[in-house]
Amino acid sequence: MTTADISSTAPSAGAVQFLGKEAAYWRLRIKGAALLVLTLGIYRFWFATDVRRYLWSHTEIGGETLEYTGLATELLGGFLIAIAIVAPLYTAIASTALALETAEAATATIAFLVLVLLGQFALYRARRYRLTRTVFRGVRFDQHGSAWRYACYALLWWTLVMVTLGLAYPWAQATLQRYKMRHTSYGDLPGAFDGSGAALFVRGLPVWLLVVGPILVAFLALGAMVDWDAMNGMMAQGENNPLAVLVGGVGSRAFTVVGAAIGASIAATLLLYPGFQAMLWRWWISGLRFGKVSVTSHLRTAQVYRVYLRFVLYTLLFMVLVTATATLAMYISGAIVGPHRDSALAELAPSAITLGLYVVIALGVSTIYQVVVTFAMWRLGAQSAELSGADILDSVRASGAPSSALGEGLADALGVGGI
Amino acid sequence: MTISPNAVYFDGTSSARNDVSVEAGAAGLRILGAHGRVLDEWSYPELRRMSAPDGMLRLGRSGETLLARLEIRDATLIAAIEERAETLDRGGAAERRLRRKVVGLSLAAAASLIVTAIFGLPILAGRIIPFVPLAVERKLGEAINKEVRSAIDTQHLGAAFSCGNGPGENQGRAALDELVGKLAAAAALPERLQVDAVRRSEPNAMALPGGHIYVYDGLIEKAQTPDELAGVLAHEIGHIAHRDGTRIALQTAGLSFLFGMMLGDFVGGGAVVIAARTVLRSSYSRRVESAADAYSVALMEKAGGDPHALAAILARIVSDKEHGIKILLDHPETRDRIAAIDAVTVAGPTTPLLDATGWNALKQICAPLPAKNATTDGGAAR
Repeated sequence: MTTADISSTAPSAGAVQFLGKEAAYWRLRIKGAALLVLTLGIYRFWFATDVRRYLWSHTEIGGETLEYTGLATELLGGFLIAIAIVAPLYTAIASTALALETAEAATATIAFLVLVLLGQFALYRARRYRLTRTVFRGVRFDQHGSAWRYACYALLWWTLVMVTLGLAYPWAQATLQRYKMRHTSYGDLPGAFDGSGAALFVRGLPVWLLVVGPILVAFLALGAMVDWDAMNGMMAQGENNPLAVLVGGVGSRAFTVVGAAIGASIAATLLLYPGFQAMLWRWWISGLRFGKVSVTSHLRTAQVYRVYLRFVLYTLLFMVLVTATATLAMYISGAIVGPHRDSALAELAPSAITLGLYVVIALGVSTIYQVVVTFAMWRLGAQSAELSGADILDSVRASGAPSSALGEGLADALGVGGI
Repeated sequence: MTISPNAVYFDGTSSARNDVSVEAGAAGLRILGAHGRVLDEWSYPELRRMSAPDGMLRLGRSGETLLARLEIRDATLIAAIEERAETLDRGGAAERRLRRKVVGLSLAAAASLIVTAIFGLPILAGRIIPFVPLAVERKLGEAINKEVRSAIDTQHLGAAFSCGNGPGENQGRAALDELVGKLAAAAALPERLQVDAVRRSEPNAMALPGGHIYVYDGLIEKAQTPDELAGVLAHEIGHIAHRDGTRIALQTAGLSFLFGMMLGDFVGGGAVVIAARTVLRSSYSRRVESAADAYSVALMEKAGGDPHALAAILARIVSDKEHGIKILLDHPETRDRIAAIDAVTVAGPTTPLLDATGWNALKQICAPLPAKNATTDGGAAR
């Protein structure tokens, strides 16, 4: 057999595959969740590293798998440095708030903005850590660009998204993705993002109309119902609680209208969410560029609906199981402490069971979500992607160096995700 | 010469894929490219196992800045390399050993943090409290007061939430002031006590840092003698004398740091942090409550009232709430507390701290609100 033979049997350069097995991932997740509880979360650095190693090493592009080279001790180190930054910051915020009690609202707003900025900074730097720990064909990915500038962009755009009730979301995503991808590279191959906000807006507008529309309509209807002249009159008479007057004037009709609108909005959200996710994923993956390499996503909406339907079913099944177990536990604990009703044990048992139940449900549902949704979406996203111009991947020059895990630690300490 | 490739080699400077033939020699691996050209030689001690999909051995070199990689799927070659490279983690056994150590150490760290939270934090808070100036405590109290007041004034009564200012309430206010004055004189605290009777139906009272005490109307209603109410007030004054509000603030900050930041919110939503805080706070509160009871007994004796009256009103509140789980969680050892108060022997006879006229006036301190206010406020609450 010659080298030429090998090349011809290798998968095409543009094929993306995911080799991970769900059963193995279930084991990884369940073991990790159990260790998280026992170590009160200290194990999370090792858990996150294991998960990334598994996902990366089972993602295959053109016959070669990705490799995650990050170490749990790096994450731990990044977290400890982040604590050294965040702990004094929290102390400073708390003591300022105490000293300037008159400017309470202003202090709270400034503190909130500082924390949001720091959170976005952390997310950008965490992405850099993950990229520089991602190796493909002996060459690492890299990310440069100012994390502070990204944080400012993110803050401005998310404010705009809130002000426009979500209408600015497509442009926010497009701008932030462009910033991230423009500063991303694979070796000497520069990244870019080609998705447009307008395209996402056009596709997402029907979803927005069905989710936000009912509430807007309800408020307009509410405005039409109110007798504004009477209301102004009452305000003029010194009534200091306009909300009470408004509610008193419109009465139960208002509650029916608003209630129906919120119900319609929630129903639309639940029904359309998977479809929206499919749209977002297709848009995002199809916008990724590395030099001449471009990606197209063939993700089908029905596939994503199946993923979420499975999540709902598994969660329901899990809740039934937990409820049955908890009822049994209550019954047994009742039988054990029955004769000593006044003891501390009798008082502690219900709250201990409640706390245990909470931890089991929260971790259980999150584990189900991670396997049934996140893992499945990773698989679908990879397998539905198709690379064109991937021949260039044979001749990329290495560049870049590993970065610190500070961003990961900050994101963890601030509770904005990441790990 | 043609070779038979049994591995894939990336040299770390470019992404070019090289199909190579790897020879496992005595001292290391020889990586042969097309036509038998030696591309690289790696000695066994510098080999490192990198993360890889199932069925593949991916090798890198230690201490290398370039990310040269050798990917081997040939089972016989993998076995040969694992046989010869003694430092290479065979089947990941060394990594598993290390991981077990990590789990063990993490468990020890978690246990140590829990012990610190239960025993260390109260001691630490106790050591810090003497250094907190009264002015800071007063400011803290004012900040907390704003939050507390709006939290307990659920009907949004505003100024009318406090009793004793409306028509027909003046005498009640005077009686309350008389009662508090007697207790304050006996206590002789540096803080100025400010007792506020408020319109809430639960039998409860609370003390804030800096000397502010809230007494709920429901407690005044439940009290059958002035000394019962005075006993509860003395208990709250005990919290102020012991600076328990500041203590709790310090402990809560410490718990937030330990559980919110060091351990990380592994469940999400902050609920475990809150749960851990609640559980630990109730463990602190047992000690704090019995200390305030002891203070109440001593203060009542000093003021000439009946120290056992506190036990009587506690017993009445508990028996009314027999089946309510909440009060049990708040005060898990109420029965023990009653027994401890009753066990104290009182020297000599006692006189009630208020006469019948004063007590009757105090019982009326929260007159029903005028009808007009009641309807508007009812509307707002709806």
